[in-house]
Amino acid sequence: MIIARAPMRINFIGGGTDLPEFYTQAPGRVLSAAIDKYVYIVLNRTPLVPKVSARYSISETVDNLKDLKHTRIKAALQDLGIHSGIEIASFAPLPAKTGLGSSSSFSVALMKALHAYQGKKLDPHEAAQAAFRLESELVGDLVGKQDPYAAALGGLNVMHFHPDHTVQVDPVYLDYRKRLGLEDHLMLFFTGIPVAAGSTKKVPFTSENIKSLTESTKAVDTFKDKLVRGDFKGLGQMLHDWWAKKRQHVPTANGPALDQYYQAGKDNGAWGGKLLGPGPSGSMMFLVPPEHKAQVRAAVQKVAARNGLKEFKEIPIKFVQSGAEIIFNGDNYEGSLQL
Amino acid sequence: MKDFIDKFSGKAIAAIERFPHQEIAKALNILQAAYERNGRIFAFGNGGSYGLASHWTSDFNKTVFSHHLDTDHKRFQAFRIPPSTEELTAWANDVGYEMVFVGPLQTHLSDADAVLAISSSGNSANVIKAVEYAKSRKVPVIGLSGFDGGKLNQLADAKICIETPKGEYEVVEGVHDIVLHLMTKYFKNYFDELVARKAKSGK
Repeated sequence: MIIARAPMRINFIGGGTDLPEFYTQAPGRVLSAAIDKYVYIVLNRTPLVPKVSARYSISETVDNLKDLKHTRIKAALQDLGIHSGIEIASFAPLPAKTGLGSSSSFSVALMKALHAYQGKKLDPHEAAQAAFRLESELVGDLVGKQDPYAAALGGLNVMHFHPDHTVQVDPVYLDYRKRLGLEDHLMLFFTGIPVAAGSTKKVPFTSENIKSLTESTKAVDTFKDKLVRGDFKGLGQMLHDWWAKKRQHVPTANGPALDQYYQAGKDNGAWGGKLLGPGPSGSMMFLVPPEHKAQVRAAVQKVAARNGLKEFKEIPIKFVQSGAEIIFNGDNYEGSLQL
Repeated sequence: MKDFIDKFSGKAIAAIERFPHQEIAKALNILQAAYERNGRIFAFGNGGSYGLASHWTSDFNKTVFSHHLDTDHKRFQAFRIPPSTEELTAWANDVGYEMVFVGPLQTHLSDADAVLAISSSGNSANVIKAVEYAKSRKVPVIGLSGFDGGKLNQLADAKICIETPKGEYEVVEGVHDIVLHLMTKYFKNYFDELVARKAKSGK
């Protein structure tokens, strides 16, 4: 048996510029941080059961790999030439669509585990590349690059996405005081807003949003400087400016419940915030003076109750350094010596 | 006498002034990540560096937590390899001196671990052999070297090279000890802070 895991992440700034449609036109840049919510993948070799089993929100067992419903597991197994005799299960501490990149955490942990199953070790960059290839080429999803890299490398990083498809990752070194300080000033709430049908449809890049995204890449350095200085108020204000600007461009883009959430946070002491995820589902993140946290929490809870959003929850987080990793490898592969 | 002392301390001060801050920060992150995934840290080196590895592992396992040894929380797991003189001499005598670190590493290393290698020249063959093995397993390596860094500085993920003219072992080993104490002190303060916060929150 092999157990691998990869963390989810919070994207602070630059989301969207990690999509090939953007970074092939202008350099993409993102600042994100891994958090202590991990997707776990467990693999088990079953040479005496010539089937493929996948256990996630449902459980499926098939004789032929081509009948497997889970697209990513199926594509990964086909690509690696594993057709039979394997059980794969995934575990996660949060529901899907929280906007915390869990889908790529799944892919990265899966690829890391499957390679270990074949006796190959992937370093963090290789794991990120394998996961991105799985999502974009093998499955054909429209995805960005930041999530596989955040999940594979862990920690807090500025990532650069170059037009030649290479990725450069510069770690941001925060000592524990700053890191704990950031946690002290941050609140995260899963909105509980259901995903609307067809909402994953591809949105073409207009010159207007290319311009706005380019601005966000330029703000990454300012954001990083404030973060390293521990200027949490300044960070909150930057987020608020972005929110206001976005709202000005597309007033209804975020939907009434999201606007209510945001306003509740802002009216009760938050400096600013942002939506994590493509919207309207996802999570609201606020930067808040610690003494206002209770007030913000109460106000946001009221918005959830008023809108009947039963899945709403606060997500306490800590930032982590660990990335994708094999935390247990007790695989008995063919040819290994057994007592 | 004063001249000698001034000259020596001057070299030490100059070496400390060239502290590779960013690489030390990277090393702290590697240690933190190993802790988060419950991995172990294997430290090794020859001669004085062997002594440094022993000193550091005992500090890291115990001194980091010295203000709250009564609490039952997860701790660092640092090991100097080889673990015993018996094993050291057995590898050296029976197989060859280049095996003294990689031999035990092959026995103990798992994917979640990290490695801390110490070599003033950065070119000790047995250290490099063990580091190459760790790299082939994609396990993160903290390398403490001196002079021009040698091969260790090229291979390591955290490249802590104390740059000095070739042969200044005294200065390099002395500053290595300071870097290792910095790592211990960082996490000691970190855990003190976490314990203080926990006590305050009453949980």
